[in-house]
Amino acid sequence: MLNVLLIESDRDNTLLENSLKGQGFKCLKILSQPNILAVIKEVAPDIVIFNLDTPPPKLLADLQTLNQQAAMPVVMFANDGNSDTINQAIKAQISAYIIDSLGHLRIGSIINVAVARFKHQQTLNNALEEARAKLEDRKQIDRAKAILMKTQNFTEDEAYHTLRKLAMDRNITLGEMAKNVIAMSELFK
Amino acid sequence: MKTFIKVTEIWIPDKERTALEFGSGLYGDLTDFKAASEQQQFAYNEGLPGKAWAAGHPIVLAKFEHSYFKRTAAAKSAGLTCGIAIPVFSGDFLMAVVVFLCGDDKDHAGAIEVWRNNPEQNSLKVMDGYYGTLQHFEAISRQINVPEGQGLSGLALASGMPVLIDDISQADTFIRAADARQAGISMGIGIPVSDHPGQSYIMTFLSAKATPIAKRIQIWIPDRQGKQLVCQQGYSKNSNELAKMFETITINKGVGALGRVWLTGMPVISGNHGLDYKPELDSLSSMLAIPVIAQGRLKAIVSFLF
Repeated sequence: MLNVLLIESDRDNTLLENSLKGQGFKCLKILSQPNILAVIKEVAPDIVIFNLDTPPPKLLADLQTLNQQAAMPVVMFANDGNSDTINQAIKAQISAYIIDSLGHLRIGSIINVAVARFKHQQTLNNALEEARAKLEDRKQIDRAKAILMKTQNFTEDEAYHTLRKLAMDRNITLGEMAKNVIAMSELFK
Repeated sequence: MKTFIKVTEIWIPDKERTALEFGSGLYGDLTDFKAASEQQQFAYNEGLPGKAWAAGHPIVLAKFEHSYFKRTAAAKSAGLTCGIAIPVFSGDFLMAVVVFLCGDDKDHAGAIEVWRNNPEQNSLKVMDGYYGTLQHFEAISRQINVPEGQGLSGLALASGMPVLIDDISQADTFIRAADARQAGISMGIGIPVSDHPGQSYIMTFLSAKATPIAKRIQIWIPDRQGKQLVCQQGYSKNSNELAKMFETITINKGVGALGRVWLTGMPVISGNHGLDYKPELDSLSSMLAIPVIAQGRLKAIVSFLF
């Protein structure tokens, strides 16, 4: 059973709350507040639902921060169909932004789609992060090799093998060892 | 790895050369103490760096409270309880003051000593020191007289050069070897400082395995032609192949951190100042390099790597 955190603002949520409970979700209801980010992180629900007229920019900025610090699926029901607001919501990585329709009859499927979309997005994000880290590692390894070639008069091959041996002796990755070599060379700069 | 020294600072003369201002420092995660230090200035004979300048030799301040130390409240919050200030002179003129600050946490073993010679007896005695939790070793150290040419301080005095003994508890030349073994001290370095006519001062740093003085210590000296610096000796508790590789390089005057120390006669702190340091890599990420100057010439550079 998913734990839903329903964050109330200026709209009547009775219908939504009843729909959630009716479809078997465990629902915790709180009022929107300035430190909402800290509250969400503390409650750590499976999904967060907002029901409001228009999301204030501060809230969207907070949700973007939330996505960076403790990502979780977020569904937002709103009346505001302004393209700027929608763009901001997408930028904040909101899983579903639903305009002019509380859709209480469809709430189950909305949540399921939002969770699935969130998971897919997380997989993509992780893959992107992994690719970035590998690229960064490659850059660091190239830099460390260049340092060893310059200071030790190594060929590129010798530099690579030395780096690999140092990493194996310390039981750390090649990328981590490259950082050590760079750090050491920085000392003598 | 925890090191015996928590904070390292370099204080340099200001434009008028009448006061000391912040040069650079290694503070680890003691960011509040760093902020409290960066804006400080010390006049001649003021605060710990100013007192060392006026005294003309290294001094140890074992307790900050009710003393001339100017940053007592910030130091207390940071868990720092003791300071050692080493003035670096070229002749009569001060180049900089290096300050080490230590804490009083448990398992905090090691020793930093200031030795003064007695020219009439050709011997040295501990003038001041900080020993962390090694009270017994301190009591013995404060009683003995070391003849010139013997022991760590005596060898440093006789040669006028830094002396590093890497297994001090087994060394025949180290007079307190048995006591050092009992205290868990594994390595020692003696450094000549503040050479005045007839009066010499030697700093000794004794490193215990659990809380070493630094992760690695190196001695660099000018080659025979006086054209390049070469590493004479390097030591760390754990073997460090990477550091050894970098100790095979030669350094030209003015090039890199050590080359700058040679060019200017000023101590230098280089590398990452602790913000991005990743302890899991156990890398050497910062360095303090202190020149050993005699009669206006560079004799050696001692580098402490953290």
